[in-house]
Amino acid sequence: MKMTDRDLIKKLQILKDIKPRKDWVVLIKTQILGEEREQFSLIESLRLFFQFKLAKPAFASLIAVFLLFGLFAFAQNSLPGDFLYPIKKIAERGQAVFVSKIDKPQASLNLANKRLEELTKIAETNQVKKLAPAINEFQASVSEAAKNLSRMEATSSDPAAIKKMVEGTKELGGKIQEVKSLGVVIGEEEFDELQGVSDKLEVELLISDLEERTLWTEEQKEILNQMKELVEEGKYSEALVMFNAEFNKPASPEPMEEPIDESEEQIEEPIEKELIEEVTEEPTE
Amino acid sequence: MANKRKEFSKIYDRCINKIYRFIFLKVNSEEIAQDLCSETFLKGWESYKNNPNIENPSAFLYRIARNLTTDYYREKGRTNFVSPEIVPIVDPKPGIEEKVVFNSDLDQVKLVLADLKEDYQNVIIWHYLDDLPIPKVAKMLDKSEGATRVTLHRALKSIKNEINRREVKEG
Repeated sequence: MKMTDRDLIKKLQILKDIKPRKDWVVLIKTQILGEEREQFSLIESLRLFFQFKLAKPAFASLIAVFLLFGLFAFAQNSLPGDFLYPIKKIAERGQAVFVSKIDKPQASLNLANKRLEELTKIAETNQVKKLAPAINEFQASVSEAAKNLSRMEATSSDPAAIKKMVEGTKELGGKIQEVKSLGVVIGEEEFDELQGVSDKLEVELLISDLEERTLWTEEQKEILNQMKELVEEGKYSEALVMFNAEFNKPASPEPMEEPIDESEEQIEEPIEKELIEEVTEEPTE
Repeated sequence: MANKRKEFSKIYDRCINKIYRFIFLKVNSEEIAQDLCSETFLKGWESYKNNPNIENPSAFLYRIARNLTTDYYREKGRTNFVSPEIVPIVDPKPGIEEKVVFNSDLDQVKLVLADLKEDYQNVIIWHYLDDLPIPKVAKMLDKSEGATRVTLHRALKSIKNEINRREVKEG
């Protein structure tokens, strides 16, 4: 059989497949290039390590990011007075940057709740040293919430959001009472401020709501006017009491002993229904 | 230093396969090829450490590999590199094992290549296996392009003749 040049070249090229064993290749490489490394001093090898591994920008930033994330995650469980607590605050401030203006009151109220939880935790575990900073933190957060809440306008803001804030404030008030029952002394000033702002918003919302209704008895109009006067004088809670006494009476002959704040919570939806019922059923008083 | 090591490590990765193949095709033994190949790179690394400005690392490594294989044959008292033409097979009756090997065309080519004159081996390996163009092969052989082409032609012819000769012998 005669072999052509072409056949032969083809066969020769198959010899390209000849390759050394992979493990041998690796072994020899480390033998040749690795032997030297052992002769280096510790400092030299450390230097090498940093040069090879950490000096790579991608690697360095990766480590930094991991460390940072770890730190922030770890800080989330810290309490006021802890070493990592400032980091938690920084994280929260960072998150606050991304909160829209509309959501800000809600966010600050959430923070106040968080502070109160911390305070509760400290009170429950009797960490006396941390108590004072925790109370301070809580009060600061409450006045921050009050500040943010006061920026809300009853007329322009979303009624549902206001309602939520009002409820949140009430809840917070309840929780404060619980913490107080643990023996913690908390100044009322900040919360009163928040409560005041919340009451104001609530009343303003109610009035604007009531003004939209058309079915009025003289008596109800009178009460509305009185409420407005009270609001102008800044007596929001009294206006609220007045509203509850007049408009929020149970429509059915149910006992009156229903707690006030529960009926307050019903304000939003039942208001229309109750008003209509009351008006059509002719006022009893 | 670290930089040199890194650079040489790259050269190693790039060249290890072809240098190994180059040596293996000459000595036709995995064990010997591994020894000579690791020695080649060790020597290469030592020179590289002192002078990293080697123009063509692969040609440089080939030179070391050639010298080492020549030394190896010299030590073994083999003279097939010196002889101008193919050294005839010493054992006229190959064993069963060898016969099986011979049945495969590829191994046949491989064996014939291993017994070829050194210049023929080099030109074939570089041109057909490493896919180096003739001018580069000429430079490595330190010959003119024309002379390299002639060598290549003769090398192919020599392989064909040897294969035919062996086939006739077996048949």
